[in-house]
Amino acid sequence: MGEPSKQSKEAVISYIIQTQEEEMKRISYELHESVGQTLYSFYTGLQFIQSGITDNQLKRFAEEMEQSLERSIKEIQMVSVELHPPTLSTLGIYPALKSYAKQFTATFGIEVEIEEGGKEKKLPEGQNVTLFRVCQEALHNAAKYADTSFIKIIFTWEADCLKIEVKDFGKGFQIDEVQTQSFPGIQAMKERMHLAGGECIISSLVGEGTEVTMVLPLLNP
Amino acid sequence: MAYKSSFLIELEKLAQELQSSFAGIALQDGAGSDVHWRYACGNRNEKYKKISVRYGKGIAGKVISTGRAIQVDEFPKSITGKAVEYPIMLAEQLVSAYAVPLILAGQLKGVLLVGYHQQTEITQTLKDLVQNKALRIEDLYLSESQEGRTGDRV
Repeated sequence: MGEPSKQSKEAVISYIIQTQEEEMKRISYELHESVGQTLYSFYTGLQFIQSGITDNQLKRFAEEMEQSLERSIKEIQMVSVELHPPTLSTLGIYPALKSYAKQFTATFGIEVEIEEGGKEKKLPEGQNVTLFRVCQEALHNAAKYADTSFIKIIFTWEADCLKIEVKDFGKGFQIDEVQTQSFPGIQAMKERMHLAGGECIISSLVGEGTEVTMVLPLLNP
Repeated sequence: MAYKSSFLIELEKLAQELQSSFAGIALQDGAGSDVHWRYACGNRNEKYKKISVRYGKGIAGKVISTGRAIQVDEFPKSITGKAVEYPIMLAEQLVSAYAVPLILAGQLKGVLLVGYHQQTEITQTLKDLVQNKALRIEDLYLSESQEGRTGDRV
């Protein structure tokens, strides 16, 4: 039996990624709609019970339970959004990334500025997911390696393509070193964009920072 | 002259004594709420001020949720989980760190952390000194809250 062709390898990778994303979306939905809603019912029920408690010790215990439930509900919501941001399916990549940028700043203390130029177009969900995951990886890489306090993301909607640039203004690196060594995160970003029909270009200068540029052709300009 | 918090003075003394790169105090806003780094010395930037970790997340969130000290020997090699789950280590480019819980006014509400830019052995002496400083900060908090000077710090 011969080696699988490049095309069939790509089809397999594409299938694995798509299955994984669908599963993440399903779990995210289940957490939000099922577990989250059940916990919320417990929470409101507990509040009702609390109003009838007169014993101080029991009241304090119920309050602690209420706080714990509230925390669990928030936690479920956060995990659900982390797995698959709902805005990605409803509003698209730009609002989803804007929302994620706020969460990113609160997590890593790095300011993110997002600019948009051109007329926004509706993208298929698969492309939205690809762009979001690649941007997420670029932001995580900046948090891990760039030693930066500021990141700029520029969206440029052109007639036939969308360009997203993520600039970290950090310490940068020797691009040759990355090309000769194995950096699975970077390879995965490039591969995902390639499978979506676009490309991901990474440039970096020591002392000046790193720039990740994603270009995605738009099918129906 | 600007007022220097007594908590910050204690942090500076600890950092000097342990020759640490960074020392900080993170506090929880309320029961089960997010945790913020409120006091720091040796910081390389202001990122710590914007970091807000969820209860149970990050070093600070984990110390508060478990009530136990956390030791990081060599970041990111020695950690469990992903490097992005340790925002203060990334923000301050720390390699080794030790964090202990702070019990303020009878409740587990804070974290005291010391960190190093180079790999540093977390010795028993270092642990004892951090633990003693945590007790000192807890006492300080108690006396300041009795005098009504802690304000909305916790």
